[in-house]
Amino acid sequence: MAQEKQILFERDELVRTVNRMAHEIIEQTASPSDLVLIGIRSRGVHLARRLARKIEEVAKTTPPVGVIDVTPYRDDRAREQDPRAIGAFEMPVDVDEKTVVLIDDVIFRGRTIRAAMEAVARLGQAKRILVAALVDRGARELPIRADIVGKNIDPGEGRRVNVLLEESDGVDQITVTDWQGRRAV
Amino acid sequence: MSGRNLISIADLTNGEIEEIFELADAADKLRADKPAGGRIMATLFYEPSTRTRLSFESAMHRLGGSVISCSDMKSSSTVKGETVADTAKVVSSYADVLVVRHYWDGAVQAMAEHADVPVINAGDGGHEHPSQTLCDLYTLKKEKGRLKGLTVVICGDLKHGRTIHSLVFALARFGASVVTLAANGMELPQYVLERLEREYDYTLAPVATGDLNAVVTETDALYLTPKQPHQLALFTQLDPGLQTRLNTMVSGLRYDAFYMTRKQKERMKEGTTGNSYPTIGSEFLREQRFKNTVVMHPLPRVDELSLEVDQDRRGIYFKQAAYGVPVRMALLKFLFAQNEAKKAGAKKAATWFESPETLGPQCANPNCITVTEPASARRKFDFLASGPGGALILRCLYCDHRIKVQLVGHVKSKRYCAYDIALSDTIKNWYKNKELVIFDSIKAAEEIGYEPYKSGPQRNIMDQTAIENAVRDIARQILGDCEDLDRLLVLGIRSKGSYLAQRIAVELATAQKRKIEIGEIEIYGSGDEIRRLSPADPDAGPLNLKDREIVLVDDVIYTGRTVKSALDIIFRSARPKSVRLAVLIDRGHREVPVKPNYVGKHIPSSERERVRVKLREAEHDEKDKVVIYSINSPVEQPAGELG
Repeated sequence: MAQEKQILFERDELVRTVNRMAHEIIEQTASPSDLVLIGIRSRGVHLARRLARKIEEVAKTTPPVGVIDVTPYRDDRAREQDPRAIGAFEMPVDVDEKTVVLIDDVIFRGRTIRAAMEAVARLGQAKRILVAALVDRGARELPIRADIVGKNIDPGEGRRVNVLLEESDGVDQITVTDWQGRRAV
Repeated sequence: MSGRNLISIADLTNGEIEEIFELADAADKLRADKPAGGRIMATLFYEPSTRTRLSFESAMHRLGGSVISCSDMKSSSTVKGETVADTAKVVSSYADVLVVRHYWDGAVQAMAEHADVPVINAGDGGHEHPSQTLCDLYTLKKEKGRLKGLTVVICGDLKHGRTIHSLVFALARFGASVVTLAANGMELPQYVLERLEREYDYTLAPVATGDLNAVVTETDALYLTPKQPHQLALFTQLDPGLQTRLNTMVSGLRYDAFYMTRKQKERMKEGTTGNSYPTIGSEFLREQRFKNTVVMHPLPRVDELSLEVDQDRRGIYFKQAAYGVPVRMALLKFLFAQNEAKKAGAKKAATWFESPETLGPQCANPNCITVTEPASARRKFDFLASGPGGALILRCLYCDHRIKVQLVGHVKSKRYCAYDIALSDTIKNWYKNKELVIFDSIKAAEEIGYEPYKSGPQRNIMDQTAIENAVRDIARQILGDCEDLDRLLVLGIRSKGSYLAQRIAVELATAQKRKIEIGEIEIYGSGDEIRRLSPADPDAGPLNLKDREIVLVDDVIYTGRTVKSALDIIFRSARPKSVRLAVLIDRGHREVPVKPNYVGKHIPSSERERVRVKLREAEHDEKDKVVIYSINSPVEQPAGELG
C-alpha cells in the first residue's frame, strides 16, 4: 500500500498549542496550586512535563507531575486478578483534594482515559479530574470527554494520528499516516 | 472468629512483643519441646513469597507441627470464584492456624472474621505485614540491645511497602525515632501519618532547626515530634539529589540503623523515571559517623544495596532473614498458648460504625476487600473526628484508609444534609442512638428515600409530556447510532435509571417490533452489581457484557462520579464493544471527564440546587415530573432544629 504521510503540525504550531493548553488548564482551575498533572506513558509524560513548565511560568506554581502506565488497566488485555494492577504508577503523586489533569497525546476511543481514571482512584480522592489531549480524534467508544484539546483531527478510519515529540522522537510534529505506516514515520 | 489473630502489629501489646522475643531467644528450647506437636498450619499465599512462607513452614516443623498448603492459589477454588470468607471457613476445619498472604488490603482481617482458628497476616495488599515487623524489631533489639531511643532511618519506597507501615507503628510504640527518606513520590501514605498522630501522639511539623537542615531544606522537610520532644523525627525528602544528601548528612543525630526497601515493582511498574531511588554503597560505609549504623533490608533486594555491604559487619540483612524462623516459632507458640488460655486480644474494643441502612459509606480504596469482595467483609468504620477544618473522617476497619464524610442522615426522620462542623454534637447523639446514616452522595441518600432537611420551594421544569417526548427522542437517537440490535443492552443505573431504561427499551421494542435486552446496575449495593431485568427468560443465564453495545441510562448527571463508578463495575466484569450514556437531565458541574451521548434536557443549575426526577414507578400516585429546588446549607440554621 502506498505510504501516504501528511504533516499537520510543525514545531512552532505544536509548541504554541501546548502553551495554549497550559493557559486553559490554569483557567479551568480555581487554584493552580491544587493542580496535579499525570502524564500517560509515554508521550503524555513528555507533554505533562512541558505543560508543567509552562504553568510554572504563567502561574508561578509548579504542579507535581505523576507518571502512569495504564497497560495493566487496559480492558483489551487479558485481565487477571493481579496485584500488578494496583500500581501502574511509575511516579505516584498525592491526589487527595487535588484537581488532577490526565494528559495524553491522542484521545480516541476513551479506553485509556477510563483506565487512567480507575488508576487515579487508587491514589486517593481527587477533587476533580480533567483530561487534556493534544489531539482529539473523536470516534469515542465510551462516554468520556476531553476538557482541554489541542486540535481536533478526524483522520478517517484506517488512518493513524502520530504525535512526535523532541523528547522521544527527535522532532515536534503531528502527522497522519496509514495504520501500516505507524513504524515508518 | 475465635481467639487471637495477628492481623496488624497493633494486635500485640509491647509487653507481648517482648514476650515473643524472649521465646525467640529460647528457640532451641522450643525446638526440643515441640509445643506444636499434632497441630497443623495451613499456608494460603495468594501472592508469591519465598522467605515469609518458608520461614513460617520451617518454624512450624521445628515446633513439631505439620504444614498443609496450596502451592498455587491460582490452582485453587479461588479461580472458581470462591470468596475469601468461604475459603477461611473451610480451611479452618483442616488446620489449627492459618497463615495468609493476599493481594487485597484487609483480606486477611476478613478471613479472620470467618475462620474458627487463629489467622496470621503474612501481608495483605499494601496494608500490613506484622510478622516481618516482629523480625525487624527483634533484629534491631539483638544488634542494639534496645529499641527505645534508637534513631532509624527508613529509606526508599515508603508508599507501597506494607512492611514499612507496620514497622513505623511499632518503632513509634517502642519510643524509637524514625527518619524517613522517601524516594520521590513514594512518601508514607497519609493514613499512616494520621494513625501515628492519633494513636502514638506524633505530630507533623516542619523541620526548622538543628542538624536536619543540613540534610533537607526547610520547605521540603517534615518533622514528626511526639508530645515528649525528640522522641521521633520524621521527614520526607522530595529532592532529586537524594543520594548526595544521604551521603553528606552532617548530623549531630546518631543514626542507629538504615532500613532499606526495594521498589515494590509488583505494585508499581518499574520505570525509567524513578531514578532518585536511594541506594547504599561504599561511600556510605566509609562515612565515619555511620560507623555504628547497621543496614537492614527485608529482602529481596534489587539494586538499592551494593554487594560491598554484604561483606561489612554493618550489613545485617542476612542475619535479619535468619531471625525469621525463631521469631515465627515464638509467634506461633505465643498464639497457641494465648488461644488455649482463651485470652482476649490487645485492641479493637472500639465500636465500629456500620450503616443502619442498606446503603452507607464505601471505602475509597479500590483495593480494599470491602470493595473488591463485599460478600466477605461488611463495611465497618472507625471515627476520626480530626480532619482539616473539623472534617469528620472515617477509617476503614479492613484497610485503614480514610474517607471524608460528606453527607449525614437521620434514620428516623429519613432526612439528610451536608456534614458541617456545627453539627458535630448532633451527630454524636445520632451515633449514640444508632440513628446516624452516612452517605457518599446525595444520589445514594435519595436512592433509599431520604429527603434534604431544608429546601426551598419546588419549581417544575419538565412535565409528563416533556419526559415522554425526551424518552422517545433518546430512543430514536439510540436507534440511529446502534450498529447491531442483537448486541444492544440498555443498562439502567438503579433505580431511577432502571425505570428510564425500561421506558427507553419499550420505545425501542415498539419501533423495531422486537425484544430489547434490559439490565440494571447497582452502584451502592453490594454483591450482585449487574443483573438482567428483561427479557425475563429463566434459561437466559447471567447477563453477558462482552462485546455488547451498552447504553447506560441515568436520570440526572451531575458530578459524573456515579457514571464513573458504573463504568468501573462494567469493566470489572467484561469488555463491552462500546458504552454510550443517556440521561434525562444534564445539570452540569462535572468533576470527572464523563460526557453523556444523549440528553433529554440541559438544565443550568447552581451547586446549591437539587434536581429531582419523579417517576410513577417510584413515587406512587404521582405524575411524572422533574423539579428543581434549592437546599439551605445546614450552617445557616441552628443545629438543634435538625434533630
